[in-house]
Amino acid sequence: MSDILAKLKEIVLNFDIDNAESVAKEAISQGVDPILAAGALTDAIREVGDKFGCGELFLPDLVCASEVLKKAFPIINEAIEAKGAKQTSLGKVVIGTVFGDIHSIGKGMVATLLYAAGFKVIDLGINVKGEDFLSAVKEQKPDILAMSALLTTTAMEQKRVIEGLEQEGLRDKVRIIVGGSPINQEFADSIGADGYGATAPEGVKICKRLLGIEK
Amino acid sequence: MQKGFKRNFEPIKILTDSQVEQIHAASLNVLEEVGFKYESKKCLKLLEEHGCRIDYETMVTKIPPGIVEWAINKTPSSFYVRARDEQKSVRFGGNTLYFFNSAGARYVDIDTGIVTMPTLEQNNLGVIVSDALDSVHAFPSYTPYFEIEGVPPVMSCPVSCAQRHRFSSKPSRGAQPTDSFIWETQIALACGAQLMGCVEGAAPLSLAEDPCNAAFYYLEAGFPIYIASGSIMGGSHPVTIAGASVSHNAELLAIIVLLQCIKPGCGIIANNFVSAMNMSTGNLNFGTAAIALHQMAYNQIWHSLYKIPINNTGSAFSNAKFIDYQLGAEKLPLATASALSGANLIVLHGGVTAELAYNPILAIIDDDIANTIGRIVEGFDVNDNTIDPDVIKNVGSTGTFLNSKQTRTMWKTEDYMPKIFDKTSYQEWINTGKKTVVDKAKERYEEIISTHKPLQITASQDSRIDRILKEATQYYKKKGLI
Repeated sequence: MSDILAKLKEIVLNFDIDNAESVAKEAISQGVDPILAAGALTDAIREVGDKFGCGELFLPDLVCASEVLKKAFPIINEAIEAKGAKQTSLGKVVIGTVFGDIHSIGKGMVATLLYAAGFKVIDLGINVKGEDFLSAVKEQKPDILAMSALLTTTAMEQKRVIEGLEQEGLRDKVRIIVGGSPINQEFADSIGADGYGATAPEGVKICKRLLGIEK
Repeated sequence: MQKGFKRNFEPIKILTDSQVEQIHAASLNVLEEVGFKYESKKCLKLLEEHGCRIDYETMVTKIPPGIVEWAINKTPSSFYVRARDEQKSVRFGGNTLYFFNSAGARYVDIDTGIVTMPTLEQNNLGVIVSDALDSVHAFPSYTPYFEIEGVPPVMSCPVSCAQRHRFSSKPSRGAQPTDSFIWETQIALACGAQLMGCVEGAAPLSLAEDPCNAAFYYLEAGFPIYIASGSIMGGSHPVTIAGASVSHNAELLAIIVLLQCIKPGCGIIANNFVSAMNMSTGNLNFGTAAIALHQMAYNQIWHSLYKIPINNTGSAFSNAKFIDYQLGAEKLPLATASALSGANLIVLHGGVTAELAYNPILAIIDDDIANTIGRIVEGFDVNDNTIDPDVIKNVGSTGTFLNSKQTRTMWKTEDYMPKIFDKTSYQEWINTGKKTVVDKAKERYEEIISTHKPLQITASQDSRIDRILKEATQYYKKKGLI
């Protein structure tokens, strides 16, 4: 049993996208507890995230490790659901790049690092319309909404989403963090966001701080 | 052996074949008709035995073209310099590019621009820093400082050589003035290393007695030789780049003739250190277009026609007094032009203020520049693996290459990631204290001097060096130079 859990960790640590699905299937077919299997993957991505944070690993490593998870996790999750079990997490985050903006790298980094840190992450993708952010907040009831904008022209879209949440009476139901190269703390404050991170690892710290997990 | 950087494309040529031939023919003509002054009777006799025509009164030697061609053909296209640590040895020539540390007379304060006499401790720290920098492959003579507080001027070269051997295992070049070659040769041999000997001409068209003596001494020790004929266009060389190329070529070829007459087949690296003149003040101008063009033409002639290893010093110095935009703008284009046009060795790290000053903080910044230039000359591979059409197909018009195995496994070799240059986003820069490249180099300096341990010489080698320096001191005292 421990062999297959080690193997699950290895596919993440070795960025082995090609074998991700087959190893996940092998784990389930061997009857391993899917919660333990998910834990092995999570431990591994956390290790990758930590190494990325301290400069030992780099963006392509982080993204490729994340790709391994994208392939392996649906198989593990299916087994978890079939068993009727539930995974614990630090909190739920809905994340996306705002409408008009197709930049995905920074948003993807934050999503991966949040996941690695133990958050449940719902990634809405790029070019996400304001109404889609609002729907996700209504339906998913996340603890945190994270919005990315890489262009000065799209940064104001973050403000429009926050205004939309206020109009819908949802603003006090969710914490909001914003990021992206044209964003700074002053801008985040001016649009009524709860937090701002200049880097992906900072974004994770802010999320933990907002949920009282870290000071 | 240190591998240096491999140039994987043909060097840039700025002259036509007929222009190369024209400069070469004019150089031969200068040596045959004007001649070259060797201020050593021993040299003159030897050259006479090899067929040169000597005027013993003026010490000018007329060299027939056939002897020059013979000497060029005798000179190998590459040679090895054994360092005291075998892994730090080098082979100069061919398509390999190495970097030499630069130097300065004095220490410059990075923040104020004020220059002061360096202490022995500052000198040693400068050597340690360059020992730690992977793009510094070797040291020239009297590096990093020409002068050291408390050291008599006549002892500065032997002491500098001793400290380089004590605090670095990388190869060094010896010096030539006032018999310093005797002590420097002994120091290197005591450490089991070779030196690059040094024979520097005095433009126009002459070689003083010291370098003549150094030539015999260094070659007898079995060392390869670095040659040079430093000059200034419009002063000791013609002001035209073509004319200066001919004068300079003739001078270096005359030195090569001497060296090959002393020891046929000896390894030689020929340096280009021709500066431009500030016509308002008479001072040396560094980092100018004329210097770059002179070096590029020189590299083409010596690389493609003579096939003799070449060194460029044009990027060693700047007229800037600080580590600032001018400094980068004067050093970087010259270093890049040198590298692209075929130089085997470029002097770069640490020199500021027109030969007056040096600072190891700049050497640390220059390490990133040298590695970037080195990466450029290495070019890139074009093959099935690097093209890999499947990677492009898989991404199509909607995906990203960031999650491909090719990106993850090859990004580090496809580019050089600077260690010191600021690559943070604007917000990160604000949040991390608005550090400049100089601030980051200062931090790296502190890290190096607190953690880097050069390969130590043995206690007996250290004692031997002490004895050599004492002997040198006595020697110069007897001569009344101390």
